[in-house]
Amino acid sequence: MEVDFAKESEKITANYSRDSGNLIPILQEAQEKFGYLPAEAMQKIAKFLKLPESTIFGVSTFYAQFKLTPTGRTKIVVCRGTACHVRGGARILREIERRLGIKPGETTEDMEYSLETIACIGACALAPTMRIDNETYGQMTTKKVAEVVGVEAKAS
Amino acid sequence: MALLVTLNGTQVRGRPGQTILELAQENGVDIPTLCHHADLSPLGACRVCVVEVEGSRTLVGSCHTPIADGMVIHTHSPKVLESRRVIVELLLASHSGVCYMCDKANMCELRKIAAELDVGLPRFQVRKHYYPLEDVSPYIARDLTKCIMCRRCVRACNEVAKHDVFAIAYRGFDSKIVVDFDQPIDKEVCRDCGVCIPFCPTGALSQPRETKTEKKGKPLVVTS
Repeated sequence: MEVDFAKESEKITANYSRDSGNLIPILQEAQEKFGYLPAEAMQKIAKFLKLPESTIFGVSTFYAQFKLTPTGRTKIVVCRGTACHVRGGARILREIERRLGIKPGETTEDMEYSLETIACIGACALAPTMRIDNETYGQMTTKKVAEVVGVEAKAS
Repeated sequence: MALLVTLNGTQVRGRPGQTILELAQENGVDIPTLCHHADLSPLGACRVCVVEVEGSRTLVGSCHTPIADGMVIHTHSPKVLESRRVIVELLLASHSGVCYMCDKANMCELRKIAAELDVGLPRFQVRKHYYPLEDVSPYIARDLTKCIMCRRCVRACNEVAKHDVFAIAYRGFDSKIVVDFDQPIDKEVCRDCGVCIPFCPTGALSQPRETKTEKKGKPLVVTS
């Protein structure tokens, strides 16, 4: 299924005024729609807001919420905050890395999982924590990782 | 209506809207600057021009802070001099250039300021950026390895040349000046203009010239 990013982006920008303050809401909506920010979409948005492409690129690389490459269908976020670190967050992350065969910021080849780290989820009492899409899991152990991440460990 | 300001213990008159730097220059006080340029809008990126203002919690950048009535300013207090030297030291520490290998050498503003402030080899050992030399364009050569992120080229391109080639992208240690979607400068994106080149305080932007073959090999890239 080919998506016409340029055309779809025009549909998104049609709901906004040409005020440069709309840049982030437009980028957010585009990312919501495509799962990431394709170059064609950013070019269209730049043209619509009459901003240089380099500025759009600057904004979209500055904020961690914007992705420039396609992400997996399931997003796994592991907390690397202080409380989770003390309670073994690094082990949880390592276990997931081992199971999925990817590092934080990467996506599995079948486009199923993306792995990310976050500075703090805000649920330190439940440390160590992780999130799969919008579901938060607390008091994680490497055993529990096996239950919630439904992938067989890669043959090591 | 004139504003009364105390500059290094002397009462001087300034105009509303004037920056501390402009007032100092009018009164013959020399404040070193780096990212500031008279032809560009003030930004306050490099912090070299910091001065002490009584009642202010922190040192303020003189190039972008407007004067106010009754302001008491010290441009060369011990605190200012110490901070200024550390700032230049930090800039030098993250600037990956070897002066005696650099074409800009004696014209380099960073080197000049470092010499004036008596800053030698930085005591900070930090990770450095190594980027490939961009020399495909016949109009401009760019070596981001020497870039100190003063953003003069960004402002020169936007304000003087009225083009929008450069912008700042990424964040933290990874931030750098990019062209469009982070592509090397070539004929397509940047045409015969060269406005930004004289604005660059270091050797990051230069007129293209024959690159020696030994410099053309694969760039040394250090990844984290």
